[in-house]
Amino acid sequence: MIAPRPYALLAEISYRCPLHCPYCSNPVGASLREAPRHPQVVGYSNGELTNDEWRRVIREAAALGVLQIGFSGGEPLVRPDLAELIGAARGANLYTNLITSGIGLDDERVHLLRDAGLDSVQLSFQSDESSLSDEIAGARAHQHKLDVAEKIRSAGIPLSLNFVIHRHNIDRLPQMIELTETLGAERVELANAQFYGWAFLNRAALLPTREQVTRAREIATAAKARLAGRIDIFYVLPDYYETRPKPCLNGWGQRYLTVNPMGDVLPCPTASSAIPDLRFENVRARALDWIWRESESFNRFRGTEWMPEPCRSCPQREIDFGGCRCQAALLTGNAATTDPVCEFSPDRAIVDAVLRDINSSSGHAREWTYRVNPRAAEPFG
Amino acid sequence: MPMSEIADAAQPRLAKGVRLHSDSATGKSVLLFPEGIVELNETAHEILVRCDGRTVTEIVQALADDYDADQAAIAIDVRETLAGLEQRKLIELT
Repeated sequence: MIAPRPYALLAEISYRCPLHCPYCSNPVGASLREAPRHPQVVGYSNGELTNDEWRRVIREAAALGVLQIGFSGGEPLVRPDLAELIGAARGANLYTNLITSGIGLDDERVHLLRDAGLDSVQLSFQSDESSLSDEIAGARAHQHKLDVAEKIRSAGIPLSLNFVIHRHNIDRLPQMIELTETLGAERVELANAQFYGWAFLNRAALLPTREQVTRAREIATAAKARLAGRIDIFYVLPDYYETRPKPCLNGWGQRYLTVNPMGDVLPCPTASSAIPDLRFENVRARALDWIWRESESFNRFRGTEWMPEPCRSCPQREIDFGGCRCQAALLTGNAATTDPVCEFSPDRAIVDAVLRDINSSSGHAREWTYRVNPRAAEPFG
Repeated sequence: MPMSEIADAAQPRLAKGVRLHSDSATGKSVLLFPEGIVELNETAHEILVRCDGRTVTEIVQALADDYDADQAAIAIDVRETLAGLEQRKLIELT
């Protein structure tokens, strides 16, 4: 099969994070223990790729055709060499996004990142006000984020706010949009939690009710019209309430690739935890070009050949690509089946049962498990 | 957006956070912005490389000169292209 060219690389440079959001998409129980150790390299004895290794990944990604890089995690700011990596990405002519909680940003660091060539910041918020936000984050963070937003604005870096929406904050959508206006951001993502990683574990506490989803959609649509030309609003539904699956990644191995902190190359960030029977390649052992074009993990679900019915003969197969492989694996145990969100999936009953439970009047789980950091092989530094 | 809203004296510039980039994989011009990539046709590329502080009138004039083309026809292309880019917030008119 001829491999297409990738457009965007998600560089998850560390799984470490000062926040503990229960909807984190990072793998639950991520461990850096098995990662290859490079004792000769100073600085990152915890299994994370070194600065030199990331620079090579960035160069190889650019050569493959990648145009955009997102620095993410975990919290990318925990890496002291972030500015250097941004500089390397700009040097390779990539458009650089930083996807961050803002924890660890002060004036000096904001200017350092800007001067390295950072093109845009996506700053996460848990809600619009401190008490709920800090409860969700499991840390005192909200006030600091407000300060950070101001610093980013005054440094002249374009700012997006990213809100992850769930049952405990979805009713505050109007206030979140108001905060976006107040902070002068150009763009806001109001994205309902998608159920992978910690969010899958905490689904019963996070999935909103049908009534909440309907109201939120109306609010988002109205705000989109009102703020057109001033703020771009991206509202993402919780896909369990849809009848057709999302066109996940625009197709497996078509446009995106992710490199995780230990150097595993993934078609999407959640693939390694959701699809345990797929073996992913590592940049320490293979060139990125080979992994993208030739590896089994990138070719397994590329195109339409892998599809079972009802996808195989579906007129939508090149529009939604059968939905999400990770979601199929998490819900049915088989990644090579139709995303159960689809109304034509033989497994749609699994999703319906979850929705019935959430929307029934009987009490459902309110408690969530906070995300914890992966354990490093040895103390950092 | 009606084309008439673009004034002759307006100075189009790339919006904040938008970069004009030559895609070495295809040789084509693209605009890069947060979470997005737009491939440009040749007309849009030729207009955007001239959005350096010049007014709409000056851009039309420059293109008509460089391509030895009819100014009125060029003006229509320029306004249509700029209106489309402005609607997508990829350029700002000052």
